[in-house]
Amino acid sequence: MDILSGLMHGFAVALEPANLLWCFVGVVLGTVVGVMPGLGPPATIAMLLPLTFLMNPAGAMIMLAGIYYGAKYGGSTTSILLNVPGESASVVTCLDGYAMARKGRAGAALGIAAIASFVAGTVGVIGLMLVAPPLAKVALAFSAPEYFSLMALGLAMVVLLAGRSMLKALLAMLVGLWISGIGTDPFSTTSRFTFGQLELLSGIDFVVVAIGVFALGEVLACMEGRGESGSLPVPKGLRNLLPTLQDLKDCRFAFVQGSVLGFLIGVLPGAGSTIASFISYGVEKAVSRRPEEFGKGAVEGVAAPEGANNSETGGALVPLLTLGIPGSGTTAVLLAALVLWGFKPGPLFISENPNLFWGLVASMYIGNVMLLVLNLPLVPLFAQVLRTPGYVLYPVILGISIVGVYSVSGSLFDVSLVVAFGVLGYLMRKLDYPAAPLILGLVLGGGMERALRQSLMMSQGDLAILATRPICAAMLALAVLILLIPLFNKLNAWRLQVLE
Amino acid sequence: MKLRIVSAAAALAALGGLHLPAQGQGFKPSRTVEAVVHTGPGGGSDVLARAVALMMEKEKLLPVRMQVVNKPGGNGAVAAAYLAEKKGDQNTIGFFTGVWLTGPLTSAEAKVTLRDLTPIARLVLEPAVIAVKADAPYKSLQDFVAAAKKSPGQLKQSGGSVTSRDNIVRQLLQKHTGAQWAYISFPGGGERIAALLGGHVNMMVIEPAEAGEHIRAGNMRVLAQVTEKRLSGFPNVPTLKEAGFDIPAVPQVRGVVAPPGIPKENVAYWEDVFQKLTKTASWQKFLADNQFEDGYQDAVGLTKFYDEFTGRMRGILQEAGVKLVR
Repeated sequence: MDILSGLMHGFAVALEPANLLWCFVGVVLGTVVGVMPGLGPPATIAMLLPLTFLMNPAGAMIMLAGIYYGAKYGGSTTSILLNVPGESASVVTCLDGYAMARKGRAGAALGIAAIASFVAGTVGVIGLMLVAPPLAKVALAFSAPEYFSLMALGLAMVVLLAGRSMLKALLAMLVGLWISGIGTDPFSTTSRFTFGQLELLSGIDFVVVAIGVFALGEVLACMEGRGESGSLPVPKGLRNLLPTLQDLKDCRFAFVQGSVLGFLIGVLPGAGSTIASFISYGVEKAVSRRPEEFGKGAVEGVAAPEGANNSETGGALVPLLTLGIPGSGTTAVLLAALVLWGFKPGPLFISENPNLFWGLVASMYIGNVMLLVLNLPLVPLFAQVLRTPGYVLYPVILGISIVGVYSVSGSLFDVSLVVAFGVLGYLMRKLDYPAAPLILGLVLGGGMERALRQSLMMSQGDLAILATRPICAAMLALAVLILLIPLFNKLNAWRLQVLE
Repeated sequence: MKLRIVSAAAALAALGGLHLPAQGQGFKPSRTVEAVVHTGPGGGSDVLARAVALMMEKEKLLPVRMQVVNKPGGNGAVAAAYLAEKKGDQNTIGFFTGVWLTGPLTSAEAKVTLRDLTPIARLVLEPAVIAVKADAPYKSLQDFVAAAKKSPGQLKQSGGSVTSRDNIVRQLLQKHTGAQWAYISFPGGGERIAALLGGHVNMMVIEPAEAGEHIRAGNMRVLAQVTEKRLSGFPNVPTLKEAGFDIPAVPQVRGVVAPPGIPKENVAYWEDVFQKLTKTASWQKFLADNQFEDGYQDAVGLTKFYDEFTGRMRGILQEAGVKLVR
């Protein structure tokens, strides 16, 4: 079936009233799940699986996928408003999103996040539709060494996330890397840094650290009395609550690169949307004409990662649907769902189930439009949250954070961990250590360790494997170049000084 | 097999003074049953538990709903500890796999072993096949072993953690033949397959249903099956023994346990429910679809199986140079 007739057919499936309804239910549920910190799409989809057996598979798949990409829209909301990352992929959004909110531009940040999500979500579907099978083959060229260098590239972004002091940023990153090593050694299954605590065997969940350091740390810092009144400025009038034309112009490049990068990283089964959002943020800052604005409320700093984490969804469906290979928690549940419905996901899945595939693709176009229409009117409403005085807002943030963490694992141990990380986040703020490098190290540490050790197992301990594989070597070279950026900037500043 | 069930049932009846076949003798779960699994959503145990929950509902085997609870981490240790904490809880069960037995061998923190929980039933044995990429030069397992002998340590196999079945099969094959090849752990099942299809490794031990689609698409070839009898889906592929490798076919085992300290009549109730489940058409279809073997064993049989399996694994892991703590 060629693409055009496939798509026409797909729209015929997706526009059936029942399927349209399921699409709507999925994206609404997804938005809700995304807004709530903690409870994520994999758990939600798994809980809803029994219901899907009463539905036809196309409708069920459309709904579950709706939850998946809908959650990416909602994830930014609490990041921007409360500095509480709703999803792991929305951590980077906290940096500039929350800074914008503090300046009274929460509405613009939320609006840009929704628009970036829409653009990227659509780009992701187009990618899934046009290049899925050939791209899946390319993705197979990636193995452990390539994943290692991709993550090294991500880690090099630390130089772009650093505040005033590079040394402090590097220290924070190292602590993040160390935290990622706590738990069970992935290869020998021996335990590391667990101090005999069973709860630490599975490692420290990234959400616990992110919520602790960002949300709790922020609340503690704000309680110091600096904000007696506490409430943040929210401009009156609808026009002042939405992104301006200038904002959209500033984000042109971010929309494009976030979408494309997010999709490409999504296709790789071993990467994930959190890495996509970090890399996209780094790229945006690296090419920006005003990098000094990042972290202080640059609108591109919201658009790039929010775009990347949305188009990643389309990308992640590529290996799932074309090879039967899941790359993330959510796609693993979707795979299980397909199997339980009686399908055989694998290389022949698309050609044998064109109705399901094209119906899904078409529904994703529709779903993204629904999400934009749903989310934009919510922007002014959500922005009002910030009018709440501090003595109400901060306890609410504390509550949301703790319930969110508890809902992931149901473990009180994690709740005490989040408090401990809250204190760490507060101390880091006081001592002017940036939090983002810590999170970056934590996100990448586990995968990077695995990939490096797998590479060395492949090469029998020979590090040359990292230099002799072309894709791997190219990405490592790029990482080195990024590490040189601050040096280059210093040289440039010195040159200007001399010229004057 | 039938004889064993009857005699085991008789032994249990003698022990508990029950009239068998047990028909629930008064005990019934009073609220939603929690089914604890050690993987995240989408993992092997999670999928099995959700499938069982659906079948229980469809066949009306339980008066209440069954809800899956994910307690991932530490190769099953977290889930086992959670069950141990629920001591005496009558509305909780857990789905275990072989790693619940092998995990505590290598991890000092995994203090709860399957022996500390109440055995209910063994449900399935998952067979495996040994697969290579379709364009690989090896037409038989003999070819692969010969190539591995020619260049020791150069060929690679992708698989799970060192205590997983994949590595056990490798250790047994290496010991039997004297060949050596590298083992590369990938935590996610998808990554293992991607590594094979991308040509980064040469061989893997894979579940038949997973391999099936890649074989049909012409991406994979199966060299041998890790089974005692040929699977219906692979009538032309030799078993390990038929291929000339006289090693035990290690299955992946899955079954059900309950928290410690629950009354005997509850055990009988659950045994009965799961035995009924294994007789249903939906269960048979589930086994056939996944090419699983029916591995039903009651509580007494399961306890014996623990000891035998743990003893065997301890020996194999020790020889493989894995550090054991128990």
